[in-house]
Amino acid sequence: MLFGVTLFIFSITAFFSPVQRAALYVRDVKQLADLEQIIQHFGLDRPIVMQYGTWLGQVLTGNLGYSKIAGMPVWNAIWHFLPATMEIVIFAVPLIILIGVFLGSKAAANKDKPVDHATRLMAIAGWSLPSFWLGLLLIMVFYGYFGGFLPPGRLSLQMDIVVNSAAFIRYTHINTIDAILNLNGSVLLDALRHLILPVITISVINVAFIMRLMRSSMLESLGKGYILTARAKGLPERTVVNKHARRNALIPVLTVSGYLFAGLASGAVITETIFYYKGIGFWAWQSAVNLDISAILGFAMFTAVLFVLVNLVVDVLYTRVDPRVRLGGTVQ
Amino acid sequence: MKDLIKIRDLTVRFHTYEGVVYAIDDLDMDIRQGETLGIVGETGSGKTMTALAILRLVPYPGKIESGSIVLLGRDHQSGLELLKLKEDRMRSIRGNKISMVFQEPGAALNPVYTIGDQISEVFLLHRRQELGRLAKQRVDNLLSNGSGPAAAIRRPFWRWQNRLYSKIAERPNPLEPRILTHIPLFRRLLWRLRNEAELLTVNMLKDVEIPDPARVAGRYPHELSGGMKQRAVIAMALACSPELLIADEPTTSLDVTIQAQMLELFRRIKVDKGASVLFITHNLGVASEVCDRVGVMYAGRLCEIASVEEMFLHPLHPYTKALLEAVPMPGRPLQTIPGVLADALNPPPGCRFHPRCPSAMPTCQQERPKPKEVSKDHIVACYLY
Amino acid sequence: MSDWKLTARQLVRNPLSLLGIIIITLYIAIAVFAPLIAPTPEGHQDPYMIPRESYGATPQPPSQEHKLGTTEGQYDIFYGVIWGARSAFRVALVVIVITLVIGILLGSLAGYFGGTIDEVIMRITDIFLAFPWLILAMAIVSAIGPSLKSVMIALCAVWWPSYARLIRGDILQVREEDYVEAARGLGASSRRVIMRHVLPNAIYPALIMASLDIGAVVLSAAALSFLGLGASEGYADWGQMTQFARNWMIGPAGDPFKYWYAVLTPGIFILFFVLGWNLLGDAFRDVFDPRLARR
Repeated sequence: MLFGVTLFIFSITAFFSPVQRAALYVRDVKQLADLEQIIQHFGLDRPIVMQYGTWLGQVLTGNLGYSKIAGMPVWNAIWHFLPATMEIVIFAVPLIILIGVFLGSKAAANKDKPVDHATRLMAIAGWSLPSFWLGLLLIMVFYGYFGGFLPPGRLSLQMDIVVNSAAFIRYTHINTIDAILNLNGSVLLDALRHLILPVITISVINVAFIMRLMRSSMLESLGKGYILTARAKGLPERTVVNKHARRNALIPVLTVSGYLFAGLASGAVITETIFYYKGIGFWAWQSAVNLDISAILGFAMFTAVLFVLVNLVVDVLYTRVDPRVRLGGTVQ
Repeated sequence: MKDLIKIRDLTVRFHTYEGVVYAIDDLDMDIRQGETLGIVGETGSGKTMTALAILRLVPYPGKIESGSIVLLGRDHQSGLELLKLKEDRMRSIRGNKISMVFQEPGAALNPVYTIGDQISEVFLLHRRQELGRLAKQRVDNLLSNGSGPAAAIRRPFWRWQNRLYSKIAERPNPLEPRILTHIPLFRRLLWRLRNEAELLTVNMLKDVEIPDPARVAGRYPHELSGGMKQRAVIAMALACSPELLIADEPTTSLDVTIQAQMLELFRRIKVDKGASVLFITHNLGVASEVCDRVGVMYAGRLCEIASVEEMFLHPLHPYTKALLEAVPMPGRPLQTIPGVLADALNPPPGCRFHPRCPSAMPTCQQERPKPKEVSKDHIVACYLY
Repeated sequence: MSDWKLTARQLVRNPLSLLGIIIITLYIAIAVFAPLIAPTPEGHQDPYMIPRESYGATPQPPSQEHKLGTTEGQYDIFYGVIWGARSAFRVALVVIVITLVIGILLGSLAGYFGGTIDEVIMRITDIFLAFPWLILAMAIVSAIGPSLKSVMIALCAVWWPSYARLIRGDILQVREEDYVEAARGLGASSRRVIMRHVLPNAIYPALIMASLDIGAVVLSAAALSFLGLGASEGYADWGQMTQFARNWMIGPAGDPFKYWYAVLTPGIFILFFVLGWNLLGDAFRDVFDPRLARR
């Protein structure tokens, strides 16, 4: 399937005439004259199939082309922008899951009662929010009013200098983790301050998914026979819900969480743009708007690979969580 | 024989969008100590509801509207009104004094926990004191027999455990252990309770004739065959030696050969444990094999109730007669009961069966027939008598 | 009780879905009666372009003249959001209808005939689905040139795979039903079987999903407009108006919320529009979820 993806991605480029594509490689006016040469040099006028072959070959050896926007090869660009997005995701995903599961359970346990309706309304409203608008509002309120939680970017100016200095070792390029590892409290605080708003924005919007899923999963679980058995055993209702129903209800949530992670990791484009957070989404947006083809393609490849990886991980986790999926025959 | 459960005037109604359904309509029934009472009837006759009502597990939108269910027995000489109990007292009855086995063993077991886990759960819930006692005994053993440096180090530790478990042995849920369970890591300190429960579980599995019980206890439900699952569920129900075991169509989903084994098991239970069994089924043959007395229900009412021999040799109620006639027999054409099941929303007035009854009389449509004892221990609700 | 009546009853009973229905009705009313509520001034060419009286850059607060104030460039906000409802519906309907048609076409071909046709169509669908949709949409709009029309095209391209998938799945299910086999047994041609028997039954879930996606489509269109890839400046489109407001989200020190009307208004309109559809959608899902047994 990955193969198909590459095929498709590449076919997009075929839509552009060689001249247009050569234009991507042009960096200043001087080179315009050499357009013909450039086209020949990069083989842009050779038959499409051959081009695909060369491109594929390059991709497999890690050469994804050059991103005009980033000013560096696509491969490097990905790794350059990834940590920023990762940072948001690391904080947002657990938050989303915890809140979503909690709200979902509460809603399911009180089906059709006010708690249920209120929770669902909140969650759906969260999802109905245009993310860009929410971001704007948050900035308005927090920056304008409190002057506290500063965008743009990941760090304020002074901290940025600190982080890039020789004294500060960047292990993962994820500012919060690096700050902890470097035992530097002020950087940590600063990074967190910058993280709060994007994380809130993303969380509010995505909680609804998890909540809705958890709710319906719990309801399904509560309708099963073993719940009646558990009650017939005399177990207190709380144990029935927490121990028996919830374990089963969490299983589908696990799968979805994986996709949530992958979806967020491949760039919360809008959020990153609003907060000027230089992560993968930001880069992708710039590339799309400026038609930086190699970057777009590179980003698409990255996303596809990420999804495949996440699928694998989820599959493995699934076997650990659901005994039915493990190997097993029947005992007579 | 003395009574164990006395059901009087029980009414269970369901309030649905389309109307009110009388699942059980003014039911009177007695279950005697040590007997296996069968309830026979078609789907919708109210037999499962009766069982659920006894345990007060009637699902929404159903409600137990009126009546009384009294539990008499070893500990309750004067009778315990089940319908008036507070929920936590009722919970101590469920799984303990009265337990239930359901039709689909696969559905009754939680797929993410092992068989052993689910059975131990019952012990840990209802038999904590005994488990505490057993654990304490074990620690006592360690204290008296332990020797050598390793033992010396662990001594004070053991003494503390001793104190812990003796506290549990006195009262099921004393303060100290209870605080401990709320601190995640320390919960494990009560592991001995778990161990003892597991031992009892394995014993229970042996009782229900499951081969290699220790291994089976560690298995998950989907790894077992239908018959084994049902045995496990029965083990779960019998764990605390209940006075009443309710079995709702326990053999319906099993193969015929396994069915035979299962019935044998039920017969043994009766003998060994001395429990009463409320055996619900739609299969007359099965009822005749296992039960002492049999009751026939139709549309939420009890039509007839008598000993097995009486019922099969001298059936009185037209419905009972029709049911017996309807059993397929080689050599003669299949007999059916004409008409359709009574509509739950708009049941026929008077005797529910009269539209399909060959001996219907004008009075049958007007008023509901009252149950009458026609001969020794043989009660019928029909105007023919 | 008939199935539809029961469904309708359940929908109205649920306070959330009731709220959703009310909201949606309100919006439909606004969109339909837009010319009456916010009449286009004399001589103004395109009713979808917001009229502007002057060319000052600073947004003006609500007044008698401009009921909700003006945004950057002196565009009347009130007019903008009212007609914005119209353009929102326009975009949503166009996109949904086209994607439905494509989805039904491809989905039924794949589902009914199976085999290689199915494989091929499914592979294409998968590829589309694997691509991050926002990026694809942005790229398409960029390539064609930003305008509301290109937004519609881009969204169609991005949205159809989910419908194709859905329809295919349902058709696979319906295909195995007995009445289909009966029809075939009576000698009906494939086309007849599809059109008269399979399609009408398989379509319901897709129709439901389509009606609920209206909210999502509008949200995406707004996002694209916000990013500068949608409606042109001055167009009555909520996303575009929000983008305008971006420069004014923080007022001068001492009065940071000065331009609240410019920022808040278009966003609120989007929010409630999408909210209405999502509430209805959630209720629908609850009602039609086969796992939740109905009483």
